[in-house]
Amino acid sequence: MAGTVIGEGLTIEGDISGDEEIVIHGTLRGRLTTTDAVTVAGTAVVGADITGASLSVAGQVTGDVTASERVDVQAGGKLVGDIKAARFTIADGASFKGNVDMEI
Amino acid sequence: MTETSVIGVGTVVSGHVRGQGSLEILGRVEGDVSVTGNVVIGPQGRVRGNVSGAQLSISGHVQGDLRGTQAVLLEPGARVAGDISGPRVGIAPGALARGHVQTDGEPAPAAAARPAAVVARPLSPPVRVAPAPLSPPPQARVEAKPLPQRVEPKAPVPAPLPAPTPVRTEAKAPLPAPKMPPPNRDVRKPEPPRVAPAAPPSAEFTPVRPIKPEPRRPPPPVVPVLSKGTKAKKKKSHD
Repeated sequence: MAGTVIGEGLTIEGDISGDEEIVIHGTLRGRLTTTDAVTVAGTAVVGADITGASLSVAGQVTGDVTASERVDVQAGGKLVGDIKAARFTIADGASFKGNVDMEI
Repeated sequence: MTETSVIGVGTVVSGHVRGQGSLEILGRVEGDVSVTGNVVIGPQGRVRGNVSGAQLSISGHVQGDLRGTQAVLLEPGARVAGDISGPRVGIAPGALARGHVQTDGEPAPAAAARPAAVVARPLSPPVRVAPAPLSPPPQARVEAKPLPQRVEPKAPVPAPLPAPTPVRTEAKAPLPAPKMPPPNRDVRKPEPPRVAPAAPPSAEFTPVRPIKPEPRRPPPPVVPVLSKGTKAKKKKSHD
């Protein structure tokens, strides 16, 4: 049970911050900051910088991502922005454009 | 599809939230919320902005206007500072509200709101209905009782009504007195004589003809006004 769920059809224009898991099925424009996992579902459209423990992208994300643990772009997912994370995976069929910083 | 969205307890949203579906706010929202579905604001929910939806169920704090197309329900513990409007507005005991409340419009077609509607109904209707039936009876009683009592003993209807004023005017006409200040009396001195002559003769005649109560009527209004009981006593004693 995710702490926060942005349902499909819902649009948030602004900043989201918190300390719990966030699942996005809808639309977000602004900024997203959490200390837990972030999941961008297939129907989601996110135009925001994202900061979290981990990020899983199955929808569309435009913005810079900073994750303390990992970032995964699922098949069908689209991510445009710079990535800073210890682990970063791009699944076959995913789209990605941006710089990657894996803190080597 | 319209699935329920949740803003968790530990989440803060700074910005506008709008769209379709229902929304459950357990955390904080600083901005306007506008959805087509129901909005539930939990006990820990805090909203600083206007909230609109089909049915609003508020248990947390809201600083802003509430607009429900179906209903607005303030649950115990709710704290609202802002205007509330909707076809049905329910404020449960223990809920705090400050602002303008208006119940208007017709509820949008939806069966989902039924259970809540039942809760809201008892709150608003009784308040409206109660005052109407209560007010008429008291007036009717008050008017009915005094009149028959006054009319039966002497039948000088005009006398009892101007009661308070005659005391001040004393010998002069009871009716014009309240409207006209003292200066008028002096100017109208010609008029009082007309009334005065009528009264004294009547008083003189009455002792001779105890059968006629009518001649006495003019004088009573002037003097008896002092108190209701005194009139009856005097008349009884005279009779």
